[in-house]
Amino acid sequence: GSIETREVHSAVAFVSARREWLDGKQNERVEVEAQKTESGLVPTHLALGSCHRGGATSGFTVSEFTPAGKLLVPSGSSSKGLHLHCCCYMEPFTILHKASSRKTDKISTGTGKSRTTRRIDLTASLPASTDISDVNAAESNERHYSNMRMEAFEAVWSSTESSIKDVLREANATIFSEIHEWVRDSFDTIVSFGVPNFHEATQPFPVVKDATSKQIFTGLVLTRNIEFVDDLVTFEDLKQHLKSQGCHVANLSSVDFSSKNGVGTCLRSLLGQFVTGSLDTADISMLATWYKEQQNNDNPVVIIIDDMERCCASILSEFIHMLSEWVLKVPAILIMGVATTVDAPRNVLPSNALHRLHARKFTFQSLPEKMNYVVETAFVKQSSEFTISHKTAVFMRNYFVHQNGSVTSFIRALKIACAQHFSTQPLCFILHWFLRDEDNEVPQSHIYGLSQERMLKLAFDLPSWKSTNNQITQLSGETLLDGLTQLKKLHKTWRMVVLCLYEAIKGENVQLLDLMCEALDPKGPFASQFDIGSRVLPSDDSTSQKFHSLEKNKGLINRAIRRVKELPANQLLVLMKAWEKHTVDVPEFHSEVKALVLSLLKLEENGESLNQNKVEMTNTRKQALRGHLNGADKNLRVANEKASNLVDLMVRRYMCPVECVALHEVLCFDCVDQLQAALIGDMRRRIQMDLQDFHAIIRCSCCSKRGSTILPSMPDSSIMYTLAQEHGDVVNVHDWYQSFKSVVLSTHMVSKRGKSRSKQHSPTPKKRKTTSELSQPSEASIQYPCPCSLLVVFSLFCRLSLLFINDGAVELKWKTLKT
Amino acid sequence: RKAKLFPPVPPLSFLHSFWSDGEQTPESRTFHSAAFCRPAMEINDGEEEEEFEFSRNYFLAKELGGSSKKSGRKISDIDPVDEQELRTAANNLEPKHEREVASLMESYKASYPEWGFMLRTGFGLLMYGFGSKKALIEDFASTSLTEYSVVVINGYVQSINLKQVMVAIAEVWWDQLKAKRRNSPSQAQQPFNSRSIDDLLAFMDGQEADDDKSFVCIIVNNIDGPGLREPESQHLLARIASCTHIRIIASIDHVNAPLLWDKKMVHTQFNWYWYHVPTFAPYVVEGVFFPLILAHSSTAQSAKTAAIVLQSLTPNAQSMPIESLYAASRERFLVSSQVTLNSHLTEFKDHELVKTRRNADGQDCVYIPLANDGLQKLLPEINP
Repeated sequence: GSIETREVHSAVAFVSARREWLDGKQNERVEVEAQKTESGLVPTHLALGSCHRGGATSGFTVSEFTPAGKLLVPSGSSSKGLHLHCCCYMEPFTILHKASSRKTDKISTGTGKSRTTRRIDLTASLPASTDISDVNAAESNERHYSNMRMEAFEAVWSSTESSIKDVLREANATIFSEIHEWVRDSFDTIVSFGVPNFHEATQPFPVVKDATSKQIFTGLVLTRNIEFVDDLVTFEDLKQHLKSQGCHVANLSSVDFSSKNGVGTCLRSLLGQFVTGSLDTADISMLATWYKEQQNNDNPVVIIIDDMERCCASILSEFIHMLSEWVLKVPAILIMGVATTVDAPRNVLPSNALHRLHARKFTFQSLPEKMNYVVETAFVKQSSEFTISHKTAVFMRNYFVHQNGSVTSFIRALKIACAQHFSTQPLCFILHWFLRDEDNEVPQSHIYGLSQERMLKLAFDLPSWKSTNNQITQLSGETLLDGLTQLKKLHKTWRMVVLCLYEAIKGENVQLLDLMCEALDPKGPFASQFDIGSRVLPSDDSTSQKFHSLEKNKGLINRAIRRVKELPANQLLVLMKAWEKHTVDVPEFHSEVKALVLSLLKLEENGESLNQNKVEMTNTRKQALRGHLNGADKNLRVANEKASNLVDLMVRRYMCPVECVALHEVLCFDCVDQLQAALIGDMRRRIQMDLQDFHAIIRCSCCSKRGSTILPSMPDSSIMYTLAQEHGDVVNVHDWYQSFKSVVLSTHMVSKRGKSRSKQHSPTPKKRKTTSELSQPSEASIQYPCPCSLLVVFSLFCRLSLLFINDGAVELKWKTLKT
Repeated sequence: RKAKLFPPVPPLSFLHSFWSDGEQTPESRTFHSAAFCRPAMEINDGEEEEEFEFSRNYFLAKELGGSSKKSGRKISDIDPVDEQELRTAANNLEPKHEREVASLMESYKASYPEWGFMLRTGFGLLMYGFGSKKALIEDFASTSLTEYSVVVINGYVQSINLKQVMVAIAEVWWDQLKAKRRNSPSQAQQPFNSRSIDDLLAFMDGQEADDDKSFVCIIVNNIDGPGLREPESQHLLARIASCTHIRIIASIDHVNAPLLWDKKMVHTQFNWYWYHVPTFAPYVVEGVFFPLILAHSSTAQSAKTAAIVLQSLTPNAQSMPIESLYAASRERFLVSSQVTLNSHLTEFKDHELVKTRRNADGQDCVYIPLANDGLQKLLPEINP
């Protein structure tokens, strides 16, 4: 047979040989000589095995071979019947190849030839002929372009990611500094119990004073996340914050506190983060020595345990005891993450450990708040223009709300969307162009491997452009530039509107993501007036009326509009001031907001009357409505009216969903199915679908017309799977085998009986007479030359089925048949 | 008691069986297709219903498994042949749809650039779908990842020393760094195999590289394989995968494989990007280590197992007759009381050497769930 050679320093060959060949060779060393490859080169690395008697007739396992030296395949007749395969497959690990140093001129065999050939390519440094250099040039160009795309992706994604990280860190800033203050105070208290003198400090045992000095200051941090994954990020940030303030900080995870390994593991992990060099033994006295050696001893040691409730209680309490004994020498302060309530330590720890703790509670921001920050940064305020379609937004919202509940995963989903956008959309580099803010020149497509003509063609072939800009005949770079500028402008105003609306209902426990989904909907009530891609913004009365008729509908946008109309003066002023900030980029709208702010400020000048009237207005609203208004109230009504007009105008004119804009495909990701497939692998269902609908995947001609019948030409595993399904919930292996046998040996029978097929596979298939079929020489019997092959197929499938079925008592092995 | 050799396996708990290798008597072998679960589940159809359907099927199968609706036929009726014969036949088996499978494999080549892109953006690729994916993944690595070193870990091998793997990866990474820099690195190198796991991880995670875009790619064939199924192995793999200069491509085949990981591992460490790539290629190497079910040897093996258990019992406990057990035992002075007998029986039941069932009169009867040939083999071994 043929040998496959690869990097085979110490590979073990898997040899199977026919019995006849090995007869008389028992206990002999099997020497197999190297075969020459086509190109005449002899692979230098080979493997050797010596086989022993016993099971050595066929199918050795690794243990029967001793790896050493070379494996030689005997040439001539004696080698017949010896099959060498799986060279180095039985190794636990191998090095497939090492990084090629010649990055650019690397030849790769794209046709997927055998490994032997490829290896020769790697080793033999062929003199570059002209053909090869052409291929090389094309390949190196391709690589270059893909690197450029990669760079573009990295630029866009890192701008989003870093701003998200920043905003999350900022959100925690207050609580972080609060924690730091407490750490300092606690440290001062510990020091006030007494600093060990030189004699005490050098002794390898703890200093003990009284009970109070044994207390460990403990911060219980309520993280208020649903998923533990989010806590990790927070604690990492906390660690960095405290470190930057000079504290010695170590992070321990609940894995360190497992009962399996005892307290040694967490101690070792702790020491590993402070003490450099290898640790043979872990002892707390080493920590004390380390702390003494620190140049300035006026910094506390903070130990963060990320999830206290997942720790093994006994190990944790042992750890606490140990720390408390040594606290005067190692001023340790604990910070423990708690997922449920502050009562958690009481439920987890024994009372003697609890007595050692001097606890204080800290509370982080809740998950919805964090989520709002993330969405605001990623979609509404971000610097990069990348965005997602309405469908994708709804999917991501549902993924967050129903499936995952973690901010980290949400960001990950966004990253997948962004990466997919860059790998599928040829014009994605325009996002990079947006980011660099080079609005006045046409995007440089050639550096990404696209000629300008090609780029224009791609852009003007986009459905969103075609559907709206048929009348424009001259398709030049300038047209594209105009289109892109318009796209950017409309996207910006859309974000402005969402931000303003969100500002209006912020206090009402509203999720920005929900609002965004509503505002993104290209078929929503507010989007109907935006013709796809229209540049002329409608302002006629009919749309306005239509808009007003929708006013009473439910939805967050309507709620925001209503709220603006009903706000009391002082709150309205605050809101308008916020709007003033958000609308800077849209001058014509900005000026109107400014005017309203001014008139509201005028109102405020009559400060006391305004306040009084506000109280009156809320208390005696009915009266006010009846028309008993004084001057200030009138003014307020006017202001509310104005604000109401303003919000109408804003939603009507500026809130154009991105999917209604021409060329939106370059910045908007829309392949929600692709995202879902990458994010949520549906292992169980997909494998069953593979077996059931194999034809959709392998597209063979023989099984195309099968319908619901089982054909012998189907992959054996599919036959077995279908039979198992027909047998109901429990299958007797014997019966199953018999049904299988009758299927693969019954080509003729199937074609005759046609539809009654499925009935045949009732749970009692043994009633069928299979003997007569066995005697018929059919195509199937050619495929399965001996009855034994059938057993093999079946056995192999049974292994395979353990992959799927996993019956409690079985779980033997897994391997499938040769399909 | 010496007899506690084999901890009893709770029947049918498929979660449990995922982690442990259970034993089963071949005569009563049935497959429960509860885990098959109906495939017609659409994500949009409401997850609750789906969940319900799943649990319903599970309990339904459990119920049926307990009832006596089993077919009485046995595998031994099929007349299994010698394992060696089976293996030889397996080698000569003509594969079906060879051409289509080959063109299917070929069709994935179009996705190679995308896979490479996703890998470089920092995701770990997780390949699943029916068929061996070993050749596909390795071909991808050989054609598209030539500028990175690639290390292959074969999870289907029975035991894998991950520390050794890490040493190899660290060495490869070190070579890659050296080749990049050209000049010899300043720091004196401690040999990798004498470093601790944490040191190795720190090295692979470190900032030593001038350009952080280069990495070593690890391919794990069958990350859900027997060699890597221990939680410790998975945790370690996850930590390796989360290193800055490591990217991972793995394949899974077991439908419950995702249960190996918690959310931290999935979302922050492995950072999986799922790819559905059915290949319909035969699982040749993945299963070499496992015996064939319809071979004779399985009967022999269970008889052997039974013999070991029986031999480790007290001599009195070894020769229990089946019917009128107590009376006969008393007659023979094997037991003196019902209590002693029960204690023996409990031991047998735990190891599934005997089982009980009710006869028509409602009496409990004990029996040995071994076939005649199994018993015949067993007896000479116990009483030589």
